[in-house]
Amino acid sequence: MSDGIYLDEFLPHSPAKVWRALTDSGLMARWLMPNDFKLEVGHRFTFQGVPMPAAGFGGTGHCEVLAFEPEKMLRLAWRAAPDDPSTLDSTLTFTLEPEGTGTRLFLAHDGFDSGDVYQAAARRIMGGGWAGIPGRISEVAAELPVQ
Amino acid sequence: MVRTDDVFAALASPARREVLRLLLDGPRTAGDLASHFDMRRPSVSEHLRVLREAGLVSERRAGRERRYQLEPSPLMDVRDWLDPYERFWRDRLKSLRDVLEEM
Repeated sequence: MSDGIYLDEFLPHSPAKVWRALTDSGLMARWLMPNDFKLEVGHRFTFQGVPMPAAGFGGTGHCEVLAFEPEKMLRLAWRAAPDDPSTLDSTLTFTLEPEGTGTRLFLAHDGFDSGDVYQAAARRIMGGGWAGIPGRISEVAAELPVQ
Repeated sequence: MVRTDDVFAALASPARREVLRLLLDGPRTAGDLASHFDMRRPSVSEHLRVLREAGLVSERRAGRERRYQLEPSPLMDVRDWLDPYERFWRDRLKSLRDVLEEM
């Protein structure tokens, strides 16, 4: 297992439009979570989300705008609440690249703390070349007859 | 009923993870599995017993042989436990797509 989550997705919309969806508080609320985001380095805000007990996340993300470059990059700090079981102190980076008539959006959620029991347990299990297995499991599961 | 603790305990052994990896390619007999390891067959049987009790493999008779097969559902649970954030972001990116369509 890598140290973070790295996803990318092609969106058939201009970088300017994608940027707006990523940085307008009202639009963010519609696809991400209700928030008091402002595009301003150093601005601290919260996301009101759904608790994820498996990740020790109580539901409120405590965030901060770390850096941005209009229509290109937005970096946020993403921390768990002080009273959450998780000590999550991660970084979320959105990178936009023009691609054809649209935009490729890269999402990196990294900086997971290996001292956090929720993450450490995952690493222990994933040791020994275990990485990649979950994907294969899905493939195998998809081929199995329904029992 | 399979307990998550049993699944994690079963996965804690490199030898048992190797058994699961071999079974990803299809069912195998205990003898076949043992031939991949530098250990005596009773040890392989013991690993198979732990995996079976964790619900990770099932056993089927095929003539005089027993064949072992991977049971993926406990591993799916483990994956959900390991990667709640990945699932979260995949769902969110789907919503982002919808919002962009409506803008």
